[in-house]
Amino acid sequence: MPEFEERELVERAKQDPDAFGALYDRYFPQIYRFAYSRVRDQSLAEDVTSEVFFKALRNIKRYTYSGHPFSSWLYQITLNAVADHYRGLHGEVDLEEGSSLPSTAPAVVDEVVRRDRSRRIWAAIDQLPRQQRAAMVLKFSEDRKIEEIAQILGKSSGAVKLLLHRAVERLRRELPPEFEIGVT
Amino acid sequence: MNDPELEELFADPADRAVVDLLKASRPAAPPLDPHFHNYLRAKLMTEARRTLPARASRSWFPFTVSPKTLAPAMAAVAVGFVVVLGVEIYLHGQTEAPQVAYNIGRIDKQTNVGTGEPIVIPFTGPVDKTAVAESVVIHPATSVTKQWVGQNLVIIPDHPLAANTTYSVSFKPLATPTPAPQQNPIVRPSPTVAPTPVVVHFTTVRPPVAPILPPSFKSASVNYGYDSRLADAGTILSAAWTPTGQVLVTRPVGQPGPGASPSPSASATPSGPPAPKATTDVWLMSSLGTPIRMVVPGGSLPAASPSGRLIAAWQVALGNQVMLGVWDMQGTLQANLVTLGGVPDRAPVWIGEDRIAYVDQGQLRIVDLHGTQASSLTLRVGGGRLAASPTSPRLAVEGADESVILDLRVTGSPKSLPSGATGFAWSSKGDLAFVVRQSANADIKSATTDLYVAADGQSPQKVAVSPDGQSWSDLSWSPDASSLLLATTATNGNGAVASLVLVNRDGSSPTAFGPSSKEFATPQWSPGGDLVLFTRRDEAAGGRAFWTATTTPSTTDSAANQALAEVAKFMQARINGDDAAARSELDSAGLAAYQGGSSSLLGPAGSHFSRYYPVTVQPSASQTNAFLVGVRIFSAKNGVETSFFEEQLTLLPQGQQSVLLPQGHRYLIDAVNASPTMPLGHGPTIVSVEVVQIPPGEQVRVRFDSDLKPETVSRDTIQIKDSDGKVVDAQFTYDPENRLATLAVKLKPGTYQLVVTTGVTDINRVALAQEYDAPLVISR
Repeated sequence: MPEFEERELVERAKQDPDAFGALYDRYFPQIYRFAYSRVRDQSLAEDVTSEVFFKALRNIKRYTYSGHPFSSWLYQITLNAVADHYRGLHGEVDLEEGSSLPSTAPAVVDEVVRRDRSRRIWAAIDQLPRQQRAAMVLKFSEDRKIEEIAQILGKSSGAVKLLLHRAVERLRRELPPEFEIGVT
Repeated sequence: MNDPELEELFADPADRAVVDLLKASRPAAPPLDPHFHNYLRAKLMTEARRTLPARASRSWFPFTVSPKTLAPAMAAVAVGFVVVLGVEIYLHGQTEAPQVAYNIGRIDKQTNVGTGEPIVIPFTGPVDKTAVAESVVIHPATSVTKQWVGQNLVIIPDHPLAANTTYSVSFKPLATPTPAPQQNPIVRPSPTVAPTPVVVHFTTVRPPVAPILPPSFKSASVNYGYDSRLADAGTILSAAWTPTGQVLVTRPVGQPGPGASPSPSASATPSGPPAPKATTDVWLMSSLGTPIRMVVPGGSLPAASPSGRLIAAWQVALGNQVMLGVWDMQGTLQANLVTLGGVPDRAPVWIGEDRIAYVDQGQLRIVDLHGTQASSLTLRVGGGRLAASPTSPRLAVEGADESVILDLRVTGSPKSLPSGATGFAWSSKGDLAFVVRQSANADIKSATTDLYVAADGQSPQKVAVSPDGQSWSDLSWSPDASSLLLATTATNGNGAVASLVLVNRDGSSPTAFGPSSKEFATPQWSPGGDLVLFTRRDEAAGGRAFWTATTTPSTTDSAANQALAEVAKFMQARINGDDAAARSELDSAGLAAYQGGSSSLLGPAGSHFSRYYPVTVQPSASQTNAFLVGVRIFSAKNGVETSFFEEQLTLLPQGQQSVLLPQGHRYLIDAVNASPTMPLGHGPTIVSVEVVQIPPGEQVRVRFDSDLKPETVSRDTIQIKDSDGKVVDAQFTYDPENRLATLAVKLKPGTYQLVVTTGVTDINRVALAQEYDAPLVISR
C-alpha cells in the first residue's frame, strides 16, 4: 500500500471502525508473526497480538505520522507487550545486550541435525540475545529498514547496525561446521 | 544481496555469505489457529464501534442471536431464541483447591447465546486442552466440533442450536490421564478436577416475537447496519446462503477449519488410478465466517436445495472431468448424477428438491436425483444465466437465442421474456425479477438498464430504469419480496465503482445501501433478512473478499407491543411472587380463570416460576383489538429448572373497547389456557409445533431441541389423529440439520391431535420423557 494511502487509512481509522478493521487486516499477519518470533508460543503470541491491536485501538487517536510506516508503531507496541509479559513472569527484565531469556528450544546443534538449512539458521537466530534477535527478525523476516528498526527499538541507527553486525558475527561463530557457509 | 544497507554494513565475504543465506530463507510460518484472526477482529470491531464514533452495531462474537429463518417460517423465528447454558467445569486429579483454569465471569449470566454461532468458554489458567475438549458433554444431545483458540475453548454446533432450548454444557471428570514420561522433567500443567463442579448459567437475549405486521424490507425501511468480513480476500471463491442461514462456499484447498487436511484434496475414487488433485473444496460456514465443516472435498460451486437438506456441487473426477453430485449437509455423498468433461463455470440450479439444471457444452440439461434426464427439451444457453423458482418448477433461462421461462409442469413452448433479459431472481413468493440492458447507439457511456418484475404467473412489467450511465445487475429479493437489492456500476467513465442499491418491487425509491466508496457487488439477502452477503474490494490486500452486513428493517406494531408489555409486567410479577401485581394485570374474567384453576398464578406448590418467554403473538380471530399471546413458562425447584408449560393468554383493551386503541391504553388479560407440564433435562423435547398452509394442504412442523436418531423419527412415532382417534395420512420427512419433522397433510377444518411418542430418542439413545400431545386447530 502506498504511503499516502496508508496515512489516509490511518487518519480514517481514528474515526471509522471499518478503516481500523482494514488496518488490522493488513498488519495482523506480520504482527502475529513478529510476536511469535519473540515468544515462541502460540497462545502467548495470540495474547500479545490481541494486546497490540487493542492498545493500538485505544491510542490511535494520539498516533501521529512520524515519517515511518504505521507498522513501526505496531512493532513498538509488540515489543512493549512482550516485555510486559516477561516482566510479569520474571520480574523486571534486563533488556540489555546479552541478557537473553532462558530458552526451552533445543540446542543449536540438536536443531541443525534434523532441520533443513533455512530452519536451522532461524533456530540459531532464536538463540541470540533479545535485542539482536529483534533486529535480525525485523531486518531479515520483516524487511524493515535500519532507520525504522531503530525507531521501533528506540535506538540509534548506529546501534541497530551494531546489533545486526554482532548477530551475524555470532551466527558465523555458533553455526556448526557442517552448516557449510561458503564464500561465493 | 540486493540491499544497499546490508551491503554497506557487511563488507566481509564470510558475513555476506551468512547474510545471503538469511536473505534467501525465511523463518517457518508460525502456527496460527485458523479462527484467531476473525475472532480477534470481531472483538476489536466491537470495541472500535463502542469507542470510535457511534454507528449502528450488533454484538458479534461469541454470543449473538441472529434469526436464521424468517420468511416462510416466520412463526419459527417468532418462537424466539432462548438458550441457557449451564457449564460445569470439573478439575481433576488434585485434592487441594484447584488452580484457576477458567474465567466464568465473562459468560456467567450472559444473555446473548446465538443458535448458529460458536460457544466460547475462556480459560485463564493452564489447562490440559485435549482432556478438557474431550470431556465436553452437551444436553440436549447436540453434535459439536471443539477447538481451542488460544485459551478459549470454542464449541461449534454442527448445525444451529435449537431455539427455545435450555442447554447444559458439562466438562465431565475424565479417566486418569496418561502420566507424562519419567524422562520428561517438564510437568505439563493440567488443571483437572475440582472436588465440586463450578456451574455457570447464561441465557440468550429475549427472543424476537413475530410481529403481527411482518417487518418491512421496503427500501426506506432498511438500513445498512455494520459489516464484517467473512474471510480474507482470495480465500473464498464463491459463496451462497443456505435456507437455514449458513453459507456454502468454495475455498482453495488447504484452508483451515475443522477436519481440514493441509494437503490438497482429491476426489473420492474407490479404486483405480489416483484421483487428480483438486484446487478447491466446498465448505459450510457460519454467517460470521467460521468454517463448520468441509462438505465436498475437491468440490466447487455448490448450491443448497430449497429445503436446505442437500447440496449439489461439482467435484473433480478422473481425467479432465467433473462430477455433478449431491451431498447431505454432513458431507455424505448421496448421488453421483453425471460426469462431464471440462471445468464448470456456474453452480447447478435446484428445481424443487428433486431436479437439477446445469449447462453442458452450452446446452441446458435437467436431471433428476437418479441422474436421469428429466427433460427432453433442447435449449442452447451458452454463458447465459439460469434461475429456478422456489415455489413451482419453473426455470428462467437466458438462452443463446432468447430468454425464456420453462414450466416443467406443462409441455409446449417456453414462455418468452423480453429480448436480452438476464440477471434473474425469483422471490419467495414466486415473483421473477430481471434486467435488460439498453445501450442507445452503442454508446456504453449512456447505457441504462431496465428492471422488470413479473408477479407470480403474470407478464413482466418494466418497473424502473437505471440513471444514464448506470448499469444494474446482481438482483436479490428481500425475504418479503417487497424490494430488490442490486449492484449498480457506473459506465460513464466517472469512476466505475460498483455499489449497492435497494429499490422497491414497484421500482420506487431507489436507495443506496452501504457506503458508496467500497466497490460492493453481488449482494445476496439472507433467508431471514437480517444479513446481506456481498463482495467488496479489500482495501488493505487488494482483490475482493466476501462480507456480510446487518440490516435493520422496521418492525413496529404499537398495539401488539403494548399487549406484550403488559404480558411482560404480568410475568415478571409472577416470577417475583408478587400476587397483587400479577392480579392487577387481569380483568375480572381473567382473575376468575386463574382462581378457577385454569392455570397457576404463582407456580405449583414447592416450586416457583424462574423465567418465561413469549412464543407467539397474534390477533384474535373472534375479537377486535384482542391479542393472543403464547408464553412458555419455566418452573424451578431449589433454583433448578425442572419443567415448563405454556399458556395462551387472551388480552383485551381495558373496558372492552372495540374502537381504535387510544395511545397509552392498557391491555388486560381476559382468559388463559394452559398446556400440560413437561419435564426438562430428560431426553429430547419438542420446541415448537407449527401448522403452515402449503397448498393444496398443510404442513405440520415439529421441531426438537436434540439431535435425534433419525431411525426413531418416523410416521410410527409422530402422528396426527383426528377427533375419532384415527391416524391421518401424512407424508413424513425428517430434517436432521434443523431437527425438524414435517408431516404434509390435507386436513379439513376441525380439531386434531398431534402425538409424539416416547419412541423418539436422541443420539445418545435417551427417549422422550413422556408422550407429547398437542391440539391442532385447523380453520379456514
